[in-house]
Amino acid sequence: MTATVEHDQVLSIAQEVFSAMVDGDLGLLLPWEGDLPEIDDALVAWVDLHGEWSGRAVLVTAGPTALELARVLLDLDPRDEVSPDDLVDALGEIANVVGGNLKSLLPTPGTLGLPHVGDALPPLDGAVRSQHLPLSWRGRLLVIDVWVTPLVLKEKP
Amino acid sequence: MKALVIDDSRTMRRIVARALEGLGFETLQAEHGRDALDQLEGGAEIDLACVDWNMPVMDGLTFVTEVRANPAWRGITLMMVTTEAEHSQIVRALAAGAHEYLIKPFTTDAIRDKLDLLGLVPVEEMA
Amino acid sequence: MSLSPEAFAFVADLVRRRSAIQLTPGKEYLVESRLLPLAREAGLGLEAYVTRLRTRALPADVDAVVEAMTTNETSWFRDGAPYQALREDELPRLVAARGGIGRLRVWSAACSTGQEPYSVAMTMLDHLPPGMTSEIVATDLSEQVLTRARTGRYSQLEVNRGLPAPLLVRHLVRAGTEWELSAAVRQMVSFRAHNLLDVPPPGPFDVVLLRNVLIYFDLATKRAILDRVLRVIKPDGVLLLGAAETTLGVHEGWERATVGRTSVYRPLAPQRALAPTLPTPRTAAPVSPSVPSRVPTAAVPLTRGAVR
Repeated sequence: MTATVEHDQVLSIAQEVFSAMVDGDLGLLLPWEGDLPEIDDALVAWVDLHGEWSGRAVLVTAGPTALELARVLLDLDPRDEVSPDDLVDALGEIANVVGGNLKSLLPTPGTLGLPHVGDALPPLDGAVRSQHLPLSWRGRLLVIDVWVTPLVLKEKP
Repeated sequence: MKALVIDDSRTMRRIVARALEGLGFETLQAEHGRDALDQLEGGAEIDLACVDWNMPVMDGLTFVTEVRANPAWRGITLMMVTTEAEHSQIVRALAAGAHEYLIKPFTTDAIRDKLDLLGLVPVEEMA
Repeated sequence: MSLSPEAFAFVADLVRRRSAIQLTPGKEYLVESRLLPLAREAGLGLEAYVTRLRTRALPADVDAVVEAMTTNETSWFRDGAPYQALREDELPRLVAARGGIGRLRVWSAACSTGQEPYSVAMTMLDHLPPGMTSEIVATDLSEQVLTRARTGRYSQLEVNRGLPAPLLVRHLVRAGTEWELSAAVRQMVSFRAHNLLDVPPPGPFDVVLLRNVLIYFDLATKRAILDRVLRVIKPDGVLLLGAAETTLGVHEGWERATVGRTSVYRPLAPQRALAPTLPTPRTAAPVSPSVPSRVPTAAVPLTRGAVR
């Protein structure tokens, strides 16, 4: 059987993660409305899922948005410097929590890799993007993608 | 009360530690299960360990199993704090000896509710 | 679409006065996202909606705004101690009194999104002897929360709130991004709309939970509600109130007993014996008809569950 992840499930997971971990309240992460601007100076955080359903959960956002996100998560003052290590760790942890919750939608438990952060997404063999969610976090663009490796490819000898 | 926060993410360690400190705990931190065991073997005395599942070097489930195997650490309350959210994973962690299980993402209120269940909220904090 | 500082200040002040919740500057996004659905429903823009609220506010609009701004998750086994008292003292007492057979009936009043009656149902399933069953009648004023409660489905964030992990795995299964209560638990609870100042659901009840509701009413109304509960509780039944609530100084028909770390309330017998035709004492306190329609519609007391 091919397990799928629905758009609304990804949105619901992302909203729960942000409301609990980042914002302390619902309603600050909403679907993006209108044209999508280019993401300048993008940062990408991802975590790979393995099991009956292999794939990847990806978070993409502009550098300044990532800094702001890290600042909120780490409870830093607006004037505080965010170290590169903190930035990578904070963004990676959001991808990790989103990925872990996506994994729980699988019919049988799989495993979750450790999170990675970079400025570009390395290829994942045979994977197709199954969900693409441009979201607005406090008015800033943040994209969550889900990539899936179709089972048929995996099962070929 | 003293708690050890075990998570490979420093962001998550900071979030959990901040919540615990708000409830009157002193906190220590460890980056993975082996690091945490080293601290316990080195004499660190704790009442509570908040344990992530997926970590490099030694994962949280192995850590829980190791702690439960040592009678000297019987007094430690173990709470998984993890993004592993499947029913079967919670059953595994409880079978290994975890007392409670908190799924990420969580709110500070949720940590407080769990500690209340475990009888670990300081008395003056209770309504 | 964003809100002017004046409009934000107005909403913040309204919410603070009605719910004691502080909306500090910086929460503009929160106000906008919560009020946008209400504005759309009214066919207005956000600013125009707030302007209408300021110039000619209907009580229902004000209630809707306060409700939208004050939602929060409810905990399972809220406060712990009352459930411990139920498990360790009150249930064994009632089971013994009934000879270990029959059905215990429970009324969970102002049940919000259902965490309270379902917590009781799990307690009953796990602690009643094989010869006994339980029926839980759960009521709330808001059809909206009852609709959610009936589904028996809760988000990840909701199950994180005070539901012990062993009970989570015993009584719930995953359903997509949510968790669903077992049929065994759901079948024990029936939900119905009810105003606390109306005639209570048909008794008699062995256990009544009326928790964190009385605090929102004035003395006369508290008294009237406690009087109604007295009419439907069994002579050896037990009433559980919120930690900040009591019958003392409110209604003389109840006595307080300390059980474990908490207080429970039991009906006092003598007055019943003196007035057999009147099963419960009457109170002189009039019930203002304006009270029930106003107070319970405010979001805080009766609809504690998250409204999405």
